[in-house]
Amino acid sequence: MSDKDDVESQVITEATLVLEEGNHEPAKNTDKSEPVVSTRKRPEVKSSSDLETPEVLPVQVLQAAEPVSKDVPQTGWGYWGSWGKSLLSSASATVATVGQGISNVIEKAETSLGIPSPSEISAEVKFAAGETNAKENESSSPVMGPFGVFSTISTAVQSTGKSVISGGLDALEFIGKKTMDVIAEGDPGFKRTKGLMNRNSTLSQVLREAKEKEELWTSNEVTMETDKKTHYGLLFDEFQGLSHLEALEMLSRESEIKVKSILNSLSGEELEALKFELEQLKEAFSLAEFCEEEEEEKKGDEDFTKEVTELFSQLHVSSKPEKLARVSCFFLDIHAFAIRSLAELTACSIELFHKTAALVLHGGKQEVTAIERKKADVLNPLITAVFLEASNSASYIQDAFQLLLPVLQISLIENRTELPRQELQVQRPLPEH
Amino acid sequence: MTYAYLFKYIIIGDTGVGKSCLLLQFTDKRFQPVHDLTIGVEFGARMVNIDGKQIKLQIWDTAGQESFRSITRSYYRGAAGALLVYDITRRETFNHLTSWLEDARQHSSSNMVIMLIGNKSDLESRRDVKREEGEAFAREHGLIFMETSAKTACNVEEAFINTAKEIYRKIQQGLFDVHNEANGIKIGPQQSISTSLGPSASQQNCRDLGSDAGCC
Repeated sequence: MSDKDDVESQVITEATLVLEEGNHEPAKNTDKSEPVVSTRKRPEVKSSSDLETPEVLPVQVLQAAEPVSKDVPQTGWGYWGSWGKSLLSSASATVATVGQGISNVIEKAETSLGIPSPSEISAEVKFAAGETNAKENESSSPVMGPFGVFSTISTAVQSTGKSVISGGLDALEFIGKKTMDVIAEGDPGFKRTKGLMNRNSTLSQVLREAKEKEELWTSNEVTMETDKKTHYGLLFDEFQGLSHLEALEMLSRESEIKVKSILNSLSGEELEALKFELEQLKEAFSLAEFCEEEEEEKKGDEDFTKEVTELFSQLHVSSKPEKLARVSCFFLDIHAFAIRSLAELTACSIELFHKTAALVLHGGKQEVTAIERKKADVLNPLITAVFLEASNSASYIQDAFQLLLPVLQISLIENRTELPRQELQVQRPLPEH
Repeated sequence: MTYAYLFKYIIIGDTGVGKSCLLLQFTDKRFQPVHDLTIGVEFGARMVNIDGKQIKLQIWDTAGQESFRSITRSYYRGAAGALLVYDITRRETFNHLTSWLEDARQHSSSNMVIMLIGNKSDLESRRDVKREEGEAFAREHGLIFMETSAKTACNVEEAFINTAKEIYRKIQQGLFDVHNEANGIKIGPQQSISTSLGPSASQQNCRDLGSDAGCC
């Protein structure tokens, strides 16, 4: 299993290198605003199974892309699944999304390998962008996934106007580097996560595992206070979100067992009647699908803010102008606060779900029949309301960061005109591993 | 914060004996005279140092009310330590200990370390259960015993830490399989690599003893 992983990541790395070799255009600048755009709309990991294989996709790339997407849990955890993925940020989710992105990108690079002329590549880029935009318009299309990263980058590139080619290539290069970083950082944990999932373990276990891995990584390599302050996973645990989740899972599991044994003990009309009621309750919870979508967004949001933080730290290093540094500090504070609040809010939501579960179990013991149903009727809207609040706040934060984006872009542009290009080139972040 | 081990604790006992107050005193070092009834379970966590090792205590503070009993039983699973609490000013809370103990033994690992706690030792004038009675009960059932006061913080640290010490001792004796999470023990993140190389828990013990200057 682990050997296979190594091979896979190696393949991706090689593919990435191919991509970078194919990029003969000297990297003129690191357009730092683009990655931010790219993370705004992460491709839905969920749809990875529906991945439409591009016709010219080389076998090598196929091998690289497929196993990665397979490792992302498709189902089984209901809507928490996607949320879980978001916490495994540097592991499966990111690897998967970047993996998808890169497969597409590599394809473009591969097809243009023979003719490394920038205009060719730019045509490809434009073509891909057009294709993607068309696909995006059919919002129900599951194919959107693999092209998500690419499309947003391309759109950003187009909107910036004249620097289509260099910007596009820089974006590709960024993805390549990012992929290498992510794989290098995330792979060991990724393996462990995979093992865990095969063991059919619970979500909170996986999350704990992921958190511990992050903790380790944090203590070893991340010394910047901001990174610690804004680590969603750590904060989420600090607010006892994980514990509540674990407790909720315990209650849920026991309840599930009880339901099953009750169903087994019934027969005939009684069984049918109960099944019908259970089905009704299930329907009341069918907002799960909507949740999934929202949670995906939250995940995207987290990745997004993470990258913004990264960008900020890069800015700290690369830009001496004090004004910018001051502004960055201000944003970092806001960012830290936002992440903290989100973690707290999510932890609170889970606590509420857990308490609701405990109360339902508690109350159900005294009066079992119709009142139970009534309680569910009262509780469901409450749960829905909390849920909406949670997802709303996620989108608010997301929107707020969207508003920050132009500000960052303008400060970057201002900064770039002040600094000689070479300096920027030197300070371009290199893959650490 | 990294840690060598994580121990899961549960706090059990009748309602109103001061379980949540003990936890609050231990984690936040404060006393809250009026406390809301606990619904299901609440959580607390704190780092302690045992034999120079950082140990994270993850504490599950359960609801004491009888009607929550069936729910709180669900939470016993996977606990390495239990604090069984009674109120020295209310004899009935002492009388119920047997039933609590049965629950604990039935729903958790047989190796679980149980600390019997007679709380509210500051209310000496209203004492209803003699210290000796608590000691006798503990001896009879193989528990550790302490009288505490969540209000004055007397013995609160000791109660939690002595439980951790006992669990740690059991780990060193090889009584706990630290790789089985059902025992309520987890190896901390930075430990996992080195211990997974070691073939058995006993080897780990040797290392631990070796690194411990005062021991043996």
